[in-house]
Amino acid sequence: MEPILSVEHLRRDYGGRGSVTHAVDDVSFSVERGEFVGIMGASGSGKSTLLNCIATIDTPTAGHIRVEGQDVTALKGRSLSRFRRERLGFVFQDCNLLDTLTAFENIALALTIRGTPAGEIEGRVKETAELLGITDCLNKYPYQMSGGQRQRTAAARAIITDPALVLADEPTGALDSRSAKLLLDRFETLNREGRATILMVTHDAFTASYCRRILFLQDGAVLTQLERGGQSRRAFFQQIIGVVTRLGGDQSDVL
Amino acid sequence: MFSKLAFKNVGRSMKDYGVWFLTIAFGVCLFYVFNSLETQAVFQYLGSGPQAPTAQAIRELIGMLSVFVWVVLAFLILYASGFLIRRRKGELGTYLLLGMERGQVARLLLLETLCMGVLALLAGLGLGVLAAWGLSAFTAGLFAVPMTEFTFSVSLAAMGKTALAFSLIFLLVMLCHAFAVSRCRLLDLMQARRVNQELKAQSLGVSVVLFLAGAGLLAVAYAMLLTRGLLRVDALFWVMIGLGSLGTLLFFRSLSGFLLRVCQSSKRLYYRNLNMFVLRQFNARINTTYRSMTVICLMLLLAIGITASSVGLNNTVEQMTAEQAPQDVELIFYPEQEGEVDLPALLAEGGFDPEAECAFSLAFPVYLTGEGRAIDQSMHDAIAGRWGQDAAYAFRAHHGLDVQPDDAAQGAHIDGWYFLADYAGDKYAAEARFQEALSTLNTLGVYGCTTRIGTWMEVMGTKVLVLFIGLYLGVVFLLASAAVLALQQLTQAADNAPRYQLLARLGAPERMRARSVDIQVFLSFFLPLALALVHAAVGMTAANAVIAEVGKVDAAASSAVAAVLLLVIYGGYFLATCWGSRRIVRGG
Repeated sequence: MEPILSVEHLRRDYGGRGSVTHAVDDVSFSVERGEFVGIMGASGSGKSTLLNCIATIDTPTAGHIRVEGQDVTALKGRSLSRFRRERLGFVFQDCNLLDTLTAFENIALALTIRGTPAGEIEGRVKETAELLGITDCLNKYPYQMSGGQRQRTAAARAIITDPALVLADEPTGALDSRSAKLLLDRFETLNREGRATILMVTHDAFTASYCRRILFLQDGAVLTQLERGGQSRRAFFQQIIGVVTRLGGDQSDVL
Repeated sequence: MFSKLAFKNVGRSMKDYGVWFLTIAFGVCLFYVFNSLETQAVFQYLGSGPQAPTAQAIRELIGMLSVFVWVVLAFLILYASGFLIRRRKGELGTYLLLGMERGQVARLLLLETLCMGVLALLAGLGLGVLAAWGLSAFTAGLFAVPMTEFTFSVSLAAMGKTALAFSLIFLLVMLCHAFAVSRCRLLDLMQARRVNQELKAQSLGVSVVLFLAGAGLLAVAYAMLLTRGLLRVDALFWVMIGLGSLGTLLFFRSLSGFLLRVCQSSKRLYYRNLNMFVLRQFNARINTTYRSMTVICLMLLLAIGITASSVGLNNTVEQMTAEQAPQDVELIFYPEQEGEVDLPALLAEGGFDPEAECAFSLAFPVYLTGEGRAIDQSMHDAIAGRWGQDAAYAFRAHHGLDVQPDDAAQGAHIDGWYFLADYAGDKYAAEARFQEALSTLNTLGVYGCTTRIGTWMEVMGTKVLVLFIGLYLGVVFLLASAAVLALQQLTQAADNAPRYQLLARLGAPERMRARSVDIQVFLSFFLPLALALVHAAVGMTAANAVIAEVGKVDAAASSAVAAVLLLVIYGGYFLATCWGSRRIVRGG
């Protein structure tokens, strides 16, 4: 079967002649349908740049990104907007809810932009809200909700359109551990039930331990990857810590 | 060190200050134009003539209006300053966090305000001098006042007054800044960037009640206006104005909530494209915008009302002129010595030869009869033949003349001599020579004289003054409201840029976002205008009853002029704002 996402020899350079920084340096990987993939790396490893390129927010210098076989690096204007609203879902660190809209309306917005018939909207929002456990705060404004509730609202907005791929950028970055756990549990459930294929960027080992597979990035290149396989999350977490420590060790050797 | 930081800040936040700067420069400009009116050439020209009392009255009117304008401007500038402070809360928080004292931060703001204020004042005065001259020349040209009388004038008194008025406003601004800094908490300032607008969850049910209350108050005010008329200024008049203003305020306070409620009841409408977002956005803004919307609505009302009634009145006056003076010259001469007087010859002696200067002239005696004064039948026929029966009748009625057969005049006592004429060729030159020639009559007797040009000048003087003040005030209010709306919307667009960025990420196409921006701008421009138009329609109905006593108002013409001005100025600002907002939102 065709992968949901395939990244081929992706390259993103910053700077001009003389002092070029390869933020992403010849990265290739693919994500199959139903996967929950994490991308880990220290600050400056290029993980956010990579995600931005996939999210079509940034334009790569070279290489191709295909989502369900469609090359997104070639998209522009209306077809780009169309691709974003129909194939992608976003969850960002600073949750990015519209502060003037209630939680319900924030979630519904993703549907109204797609032109979903008005009759379907309320049912679908309520169903999705239930999946993420935010039914109680649907009528609240973002400033009336906790960080965790806000982030789960953003997650609901991301999955309500049944996107091919959900992109999450440090979704737990601004959350306390309990809220983070709650959000990740929901991600895991959504993924297991086949509701979402998730690609998540994080620097936090605990957050990463919810993924089924993790790519480790260093200096813009994929250094190694881990598969969770059949092991428990605790064991996977230990394994991740090990890799992170090794990466850190490498860095201190260089320094 | 503070001055250095202040100057740097001014340079750095020029984009933010730009909005503020424009508002003040514009305000200074219009205040100066207003107050230099009396020293402007066109006004002096008219004020020195027979309309001096009118000019005096209008001078006093300007004085009173200036106070009102000052209050409006103070309000607007304080409002613009509020915007500015809100946009810079994060920066102020950083100063406090770095250990600067509140007093020092307040002083920093004071220096910045002073610096920008002086610049804006100078720019506004420069603009004002130009605008005053341009408007003066334009008006003069429009109404055929000879342009040779005009020079480029600068009114130092008006400049002083303007500077004083705005210094007071700056003082208020500084006080408000100081108050804002002393009151704020560091935490709020630091979080200002994230929550840039306080969102009070306001019950939609309350909105509906407020909306109905507002509509009720307006209905009462309208009913009072229509039954009482416009010009009865007593205690009840102020009650009426108060009710109307309060009704308008409540209307705007509750309108967004009411709209939201109505739209929410139609899911098809509410869940369509970005409608939900636009309505929520509008509703969230209303807490800060309803006051300015009310003021803008009332300013628009003034603009429309003043423009329409001054143009309407003006047309009435113009019609009256033609009826008052059918012939170019009407002279009556009472010689000191009895006997035949050859008026044309006397005039020719003085340099005005009727043979050469006139296309038609009549000179004839008026006789004293037993019953009164009379002229010959043949002369009467000549007048009627030249200027029409109506003119002949008006002439007789005006001077109290009978008509007698030509032969009845034999030996009758001659009371005086009439000279009626129409000029040939250059009327203004002929008029000048005629006035010159009149002086030779001074030594021979007493005369009375009306010329068409003289009457024209007199009537036109009133007309120019009415129109001048009317258009001036009307355009000024219109410009001010449009400019303020534009500034507000552009600032809002900058605030909204991150929201639109998010919408773009969610996949809302460019056209959908642009439309949403346009709708927001449209709502804020159109709603005050719509209510102002309703107010104006009711007001003009009441005013027509008053003006009808003076003369018939040409409703079509006055509405047309008001509409054209509205369309050009308001429409222009609207389009510019749509364009600017789209650009800001796209750039973010």
